[in-house]
Amino acid sequence: MKMAPRRRRDIAVPVVSMGDIAFLLTIFFLICSNFTKEAGIKLVPPKAPSVETIKESRISVAIDGEGDLFLQGQPVPDARSIEWGVAALMQDRTGPEARLVMFKCDHQVDKAVFEPVLDAIAKAGGTIVAVGDKSSPNE
Amino acid sequence: MRSEKGRSRKPLSVPMDSVSDIAFLLIIFFILTTSIRRVTGFQSELPAAQRDQQQTTEKMPSVKLHNGALTYNDEAVTPAQLRERLLQLKLPQRTESERVIVLEATGQVSYQDYFAVMAAVSQAGGAISIISESKDGGS
Repeated sequence: MKMAPRRRRDIAVPVVSMGDIAFLLTIFFLICSNFTKEAGIKLVPPKAPSVETIKESRISVAIDGEGDLFLQGQPVPDARSIEWGVAALMQDRTGPEARLVMFKCDHQVDKAVFEPVLDAIAKAGGTIVAVGDKSSPNE
Repeated sequence: MRSEKGRSRKPLSVPMDSVSDIAFLLIIFFILTTSIRRVTGFQSELPAAQRDQQQTTEKMPSVKLHNGALTYNDEAVTPAQLRERLLQLKLPQRTESERVIVLEATGQVSYQDYFAVMAAVSQAGGAISIISESKDGGS
């Protein structure tokens, strides 16, 4: 029996919506990314065995290795500026996480520098979230 | 004069062929430049109302840091021993005012030592009351 010749179909991958998908992925990455505010601040964080993974808060205070103070990644002259700045930043925000202030400080900084800053955050009504690395339990 | 009648108008279209390529290049850029990191630390309570006050600290457990030496209720301890002692206090079962641990730092104290004590108090569920050293050297 003679078979009729089969017609071969051209197989084409649909790529029309590829651009849309790619842009949706780009938008997803943009929204989900959390841009770090302390990109240029050089500090070595302290270590303790009892640290846990924490969620980054929106207000951040940092002290670098040279003892310079930063609020939201911008240099500030003294602890009083931090107190005012933190109080002002907390005014705009509501919710339980509004009071959280992320505090990053170099491990070698002396207490004469960081204690007034801790004091300023507390006076502004902030709850300190101290950032540091995990060390072994014997340290 | 030449007649305009016979001129054929080409339909205007924005070239969209390379849009998906650009979008994918953007995605690759974001993937390569993004660093996924987990922030570790702890939340520390510093009751602002109790700071800088000559309060009745006699009954409260006290931690002292003097030039790197650590004492708990005037007894020399290591950071690991301090964690154990503070955990034995079962601070989460106490009232808010009874959870306060007095932290006094004198002399040259680095943030590393301070951070270790704050982490230990935080792990035990306590709140820190910082006694600041006055300018004349006393507390």
